[in-house]
Amino acid sequence: MKYCRHCKVYIREGRNRCTLCGNVLEEELKGGSEDVFPEVPPFFESHLALRIMIFISIVAVVVSFGINMIFPSNINWSILFMFATISVWVGLIIIIRKKYHISKKIVWQVIIISILAIFWDYKTGWRGWSLDYVIPIACVSAMIIMYVTAKIMNLSIREYITYALLDGIFGIIPVLFIIFDLVKVVYPSIISIGFSIISLSAIFIFQGEEIKAEIDKRMHI
Amino acid sequence: MKTKNKKEKVEWKRLDNASKIFPAISNNKDTKVYRISAELYRDINPENLQKALDLTLEGFPMYKSILRRGFFWYYFESSNIHPKVEIESTNPCSAIYIKGKKNHLFRISYYKKRINLELFHALSDGAGAIWFLETLVFYYIKINYKDELGNSNPSLEHGASISQKSDDGFWRNYTPDIQNTKIKRKRYTTAYMIKGKRIDENKMKVIEGAMSVEKILNISRGYGTSMTVFLTSLFMYSIYADMPKNKRKKLIVISVPINLHRYYDSLTARNFFTTMDISYDFQKNSPEIKDIVKYVNKEFKKGLEKENIHRKVVRFMKFENNPVIRIIPLVIKDFFMKIASKFNSKSISSSISNIGRIKTAEEFESYIKQFSVCASARAPKITFCSYRDRLVITFTSPYVETEIQREFFQFLSNRDIEIEITSNM
Repeated sequence: MKYCRHCKVYIREGRNRCTLCGNVLEEELKGGSEDVFPEVPPFFESHLALRIMIFISIVAVVVSFGINMIFPSNINWSILFMFATISVWVGLIIIIRKKYHISKKIVWQVIIISILAIFWDYKTGWRGWSLDYVIPIACVSAMIIMYVTAKIMNLSIREYITYALLDGIFGIIPVLFIIFDLVKVVYPSIISIGFSIISLSAIFIFQGEEIKAEIDKRMHI
Repeated sequence: MKTKNKKEKVEWKRLDNASKIFPAISNNKDTKVYRISAELYRDINPENLQKALDLTLEGFPMYKSILRRGFFWYYFESSNIHPKVEIESTNPCSAIYIKGKKNHLFRISYYKKRINLELFHALSDGAGAIWFLETLVFYYIKINYKDELGNSNPSLEHGASISQKSDDGFWRNYTPDIQNTKIKRKRYTTAYMIKGKRIDENKMKVIEGAMSVEKILNISRGYGTSMTVFLTSLFMYSIYADMPKNKRKKLIVISVPINLHRYYDSLTARNFFTTMDISYDFQKNSPEIKDIVKYVNKEFKKGLEKENIHRKVVRFMKFENNPVIRIIPLVIKDFFMKIASKFNSKSISSSISNIGRIKTAEEFESYIKQFSVCASARAPKITFCSYRDRLVITFTSPYVETEIQREFFQFLSNRDIEIEITSNM
């Protein structure tokens, strides 16, 4: 151990300077020096790729506006381009933020895709494709993807059951589209509704207790 | 063939009163993680440490749980993840609870001669963690030095049943009939905030000073008080010495946790503590250490009266049981708890925490050098514990500066106390 004459304390590790006052320490006094704490390497943020992507997105949007102003055209395509970029980012952010929870992520993606689709459909003159195809198909594929990932990743039932339930409930929403006559093509909606009802009844019949326990746990006041 | 995951029962537990705040307010700057280390005389054998950990966990099933978010409250859920001991590779008190991530709320690491138990404060307080570490060290020495120990075969004092250890001490001692839970609080004043340059990556600077328990007790007795009161006073004195002249009209307020096990009959290994604030006005009172001690001693007596403590506990419980508060969604609760905690932290300069005297089987004393404790900090703070005649006082600080630490240890070394300093940076 080294001794600091200024602070009158012993320093256990083999340092050159006193931990307390910063003065230079003299040679060893008693015992050897010890290594008590490990050297922890600095943690570098590896988000450079993300930063480059953000930068490229901004440059692309700015350039597209510039070109559109210099060479005007009938459609304001630069606005669409900007919305497209934002849409991609919203999807990405959700994926990154919910990184620890795969089933939650899937439900979030369904919600995001549905909202974006309605937004795009509306902005491009409402031809109804978002309700006709996108939402029903998103719900059905989410149910399939969730079941497959749960099997592949060997998730226990309680880890995805709530989200399977949520998605099943979403999948029934196209009933409203048909009732209020919002859709021109009914087949995807019918498939989605049928799929959801079957999936929900399966959940309740075979996993009813599990669902009840999950709800008790998550909703306890 | 049975599939393992199919019919496993969901076991979950509510968080106790004191735990509820931690998940809401922990962040990268203040992780609410603390570390208790056992330093042995010889290098640690990781395989045997793993065996010891597996045995220890049998007695502390709460430690196997993970923290999850419900709609109204957080809760602990049992998990099948198998905890592994690792060589120490993270900075002291780095984050354990990460929102959404499913992991245990504690971490066992080793480096050279040390075994470190780090845990997220929602899981347990110092008293519970010490119990866990004592058990771990007990099994480790017993396994690792089986041959040397030969015939002397100490057995572990379990001390409580498994269910007693997982008990909620607050609920067990809640008497809602107490009507008057108003606590006479001093007018809300902002306390002196210790400022400094933050260390990169929000790392904590840990400085441990090891010294003789007996000698510190002697000094404390010389001032006519206990060790905790003396160290609290000395801490205030050191903060004052470093205080810029223009800030000296502000109060120095030190928060002191109180171990409730001493007041109630509960054997829980979970959180069971409350805190009291000790403040000193250097503008109106003398900056001499003996006068600080006299004042702090009086404040401690007042704060440690059973009646005051019970009223405080009941008040927090009533708050938690308020039907309106219970049905507020967790997202909103989190938001308000964050604000309340910010507001509250403005009225506290720092904290000092006595983890207490650590005991092991007599036969094992020749294997263990010391125990030490440190905790994530918003401003330089003190934690200390003792083992036999070795008292380790630890400063944990998010700042580069070491003025307060230097003042503190120099005061003691100038009174002929031999101090050994250890630091992580």
